[in-house]
Amino acid sequence: MTTIDSGERRRAVDARPLITELIDAPTVESIAGEAWIALVGEDEVLIPIPGDLPVDPLSAWVDVVGPWTGSVVLTTGRRTAAELTRALLGPAAPAELEDEDVADAFGEIANVVGGNVKAALPGPSGLSLPDVGDAPAVRNPADLCRIDVLWRGQPVAISVQGALPALPLTH
Amino acid sequence: MTLTTTSFDWVRALVHKESAIVLQPGKEYLVEARLLPIARERGIPDVSQFVDSVRNRPDADCNRRIVEALTTNETSWFRDGDPFTALTSTVMPALLAARGPNERLQIWSAASSSGQEPYTIAMLLEDSIPNATSRVSITATDLSREMVTRTKAGRFSQLEVNRGLPAPMLVRHFTRVGNEWEVAAPLRRMVTATECNLAAPLPRMGPFDVVYLRNVLIYFDLPTKQAILRRVRDLMRPDGWLFLGAAETTLGVDDSWERVVVGRSSAYRPLKGA
Amino acid sequence: MRALVIDDSRAMRRIVTAILEGLGYEVRGAGHGREGLDVLDEGWIPELVCVDWNMPVMDGLQFVSAVRSNPSWRSITLMMVTSESEHTQIVRALAAGAHEYVIKPFTADAIRDKLALLGLLPQEVAL
Repeated sequence: MTTIDSGERRRAVDARPLITELIDAPTVESIAGEAWIALVGEDEVLIPIPGDLPVDPLSAWVDVVGPWTGSVVLTTGRRTAAELTRALLGPAAPAELEDEDVADAFGEIANVVGGNVKAALPGPSGLSLPDVGDAPAVRNPADLCRIDVLWRGQPVAISVQGALPALPLTH
Repeated sequence: MTLTTTSFDWVRALVHKESAIVLQPGKEYLVEARLLPIARERGIPDVSQFVDSVRNRPDADCNRRIVEALTTNETSWFRDGDPFTALTSTVMPALLAARGPNERLQIWSAASSSGQEPYTIAMLLEDSIPNATSRVSITATDLSREMVTRTKAGRFSQLEVNRGLPAPMLVRHFTRVGNEWEVAAPLRRMVTATECNLAAPLPRMGPFDVVYLRNVLIYFDLPTKQAILRRVRDLMRPDGWLFLGAAETTLGVDDSWERVVVGRSSAYRPLKGA
Repeated sequence: MRALVIDDSRAMRRIVTAILEGLGYEVRGAGHGREGLDVLDEGWIPELVCVDWNMPVMDGLQFVSAVRSNPSWRSITLMMVTSESEHTQIVRALAAGAHEYVIKPFTADAIRDKLALLGLLPQEVAL
């Protein structure tokens, strides 16, 4: 049977679910909360109060590729990222932290949070290796689930954001 | 209001006495965070006020909850695995041989907390005896309504399923729901969870073939221990089996039990005519 | 007892290493599956390998399959330690030959509990 391009393919893409239909803020909060308690320390609670991120923040993220495609992005101040690294490494932390140490530890926290976010989404999906630097831009503000928390009084933002822009119609 | 020094010291002393774990000064916030849910469950909005009320009116169950909240993050599935090994290797074969094919076996998991123990038993039985879900029923009791609700839901966090649950059993008996793991429906049907205060007259239940009453008696004084053991015995079949915690015994408490060695574990059986 | 810890994150290698050393293990690390195989090829055969899933060069699932396909490495217990946490992923890892599976995030107690299940707690710790 021959099918005429009736826009089926485009509709299939348009029909991709938005993240807000797949996961809610309390789930992201509980995933992040468990990661902090287990990895950072058993008393390390995240308090769901938004704070102002510093002007020059650092982000760590992993990409999720599957029925929903996007990134799980952790953003915080550079000093907070370094403190997080020390807390994660505990007694194994080197006296002088290199940027590489921070990138590695912060990236691993993104991997842990991202892996668990991925598992709460419809699958099968793949998970990328973590990346650290300036956060990928939010493509579609409707395809975003973001939580803002305080850790040791410092702001941390966790956003689950779609990779797709609102698709421009092709003519 | 923050935790008073008196309240903190009392909690430290209790935890040290029952678990030998030392809570260092500076852990006040930990005590606050862990005890607040227990206080709220009892309708008390503040931890210091809650601690004061327990100090003034001693309550073994409260003490147990406080110690557990401060000493264990999550209950393990095969916590001290030997009493579970004993169940499948010795106890169940003996009971299945002694009972008729249509007789339902009844197991009681007392002070079952969030449900790891009753579901561990349910999984083991489903994996080891035919028609387990119809042959065995498991009663899970806890004093806390919140724990009973959690047990009924049969849902566990990622951190909880990481604690001593073998991966093959996780994939066989659980499905993932959002960020949690849910026990399979047939196993949930096998387990009935109800509120029950062990230190008061017990509701009509049983008769039980097997009772798990682990790490509970240590929190009670001698007369209460004796009363609990007597009440438990009244709910057991004459050829039933009782499992206590590794540090607990009926010896010197209640002489109407016979201690038997089962593999690497000990069980207690009602003495005939006692 | 010996353990090999394979994870592309140095921080995670340090964390798992510290837990295992605390239990009495002698530990070596590797940054991906290929490096892990190199350690085994050297003849350093551990009782336990803790291996992440997502890594560059060779991922944990490929590593598990490679170890399982070599009969002389049959004595090694393989435990995946990863943030991959879907039911289907755990099934895949077990089917490939992993014995146990620890989901990140985990606590030190979680590793210890799993080793107890596997009979891999060094004796003095188990008592």
